[in-house]
Amino acid sequence: MRFNERELVSLSRQPSERAAELGMRGPRKGDVVKKRLVKLVVNFLFYFRTDEEEPLGALLLEGCRVEREDEQAFSIAFLDEAERKYLFECDSKEQCVEWIESIVKASYEFMRKSLIFYRSEIQRMTGKDPLEQYGISDEARFQISSISSIQGT
Amino acid sequence: MKIHGKLLSHYLSCCSPVDKEGYLYKKSERTGSYQKRWFVLKGNLLFYQECRSDGSPLGVIVLEGCSIELCESDELFAFSVGFGGHGCGTYRLAAKDQPSQESWIKALLSASHGFLSMLVSDLERRYHEVVSETCGSAFCQQAVDGKGFTPFLASQNYRPSAPTGGQSCHMSQLLQVPPTSRRNTSKISPKLWTKRTIDDRAVNEPAAAEVRDEASGGPPSLEDFCMLHELYGKEVKDLIALRQIMERKDEKDVKDEQATGSG
Repeated sequence: MRFNERELVSLSRQPSERAAELGMRGPRKGDVVKKRLVKLVVNFLFYFRTDEEEPLGALLLEGCRVEREDEQAFSIAFLDEAERKYLFECDSKEQCVEWIESIVKASYEFMRKSLIFYRSEIQRMTGKDPLEQYGISDEARFQISSISSIQGT
Repeated sequence: MKIHGKLLSHYLSCCSPVDKEGYLYKKSERTGSYQKRWFVLKGNLLFYQECRSDGSPLGVIVLEGCSIELCESDELFAFSVGFGGHGCGTYRLAAKDQPSQESWIKALLSASHGFLSMLVSDLERRYHEVVSETCGSAFCQQAVDGKGFTPFLASQNYRPSAPTGGQSCHMSQLLQVPPTSRRNTSKISPKLWTKRTIDDRAVNEPAAAEVRDEASGGPPSLEDFCMLHELYGKEVKDLIALRQIMERKDEKDVKDEQATGSG
């Protein structure tokens, strides 16, 4: 798949929500834990070899499952394959908790649902649509129906 | 750099909503000519493929930090998606007519993660303002009833009485975890749920930890849940204390009666 690599590398250099050196282990059998600079930017998790400018890779954080593995480690499973997990080892329990929270909240789909929730609650309680002032009330992406359309799937 | 294309393809084909799709013309960097492509906008990602029925995308454009501009010099109804970073390029696209061009530009302008993040922060703040204005005690029955929480505010009409089966049922209702959160936590590993303690509240908030693309009615943020959790906890403690006072009072009344009755 083609992608705008230069833009993505440029994105990886921008100020991030969270960045730290963590132990990272890939999903394949035989993968070992390696020290990586892990950086959360928008809904991508970039990982670098320490002191390298260009990331080794970028993981899209949508539709993934984040789990606490033990006191100081968490995992991210992609593609509905619970056995294909990336493991991340943190330096402390607090750091682990903070990473999990940040990754969950970074997902575009999580944010969309939050927005729709707040929008509908504010509308219900005040009678006013809070998105009107932005001129985006009609945008398909912010409609309550966009959530109900995926019920039952 | 490895993009993990499978994750992108999966996001494209999974059940989360498509924000916009349709044919656009894309200028080829190599040949300079415009080629018709089927575009799908989902979240902050713009996918394109040769035609609608194609199984997998040819490519994806990550829409962060881009600017959208009209550019009708070389093609009618054209616009560009430009990136400012070093060495970054510009995608030139063209729609079939003016309404389509306008609709695409509007959709792309509101597609970025940064924009959505700003909106969510703003609406979250306003939600808290409205809740505290509406309820005074920062706890709104309407707000939570609608989401399937136990009708906690029924407890505001609590009338002290001798402990009965009905009353204990009421108390156990109050102490239950709200059903909405249960629904959300079914998506989380049991390990995460059973490790829940007061201290781990921040990570174990089920509403925020739901990462599956399934309908839930929209979870509040972690801060919302923390706030409600604290309020629940405080209200329950207050009610237990009140109940204890009333029980002691009842016991005292009974003893007083026995004392006077036997005299």
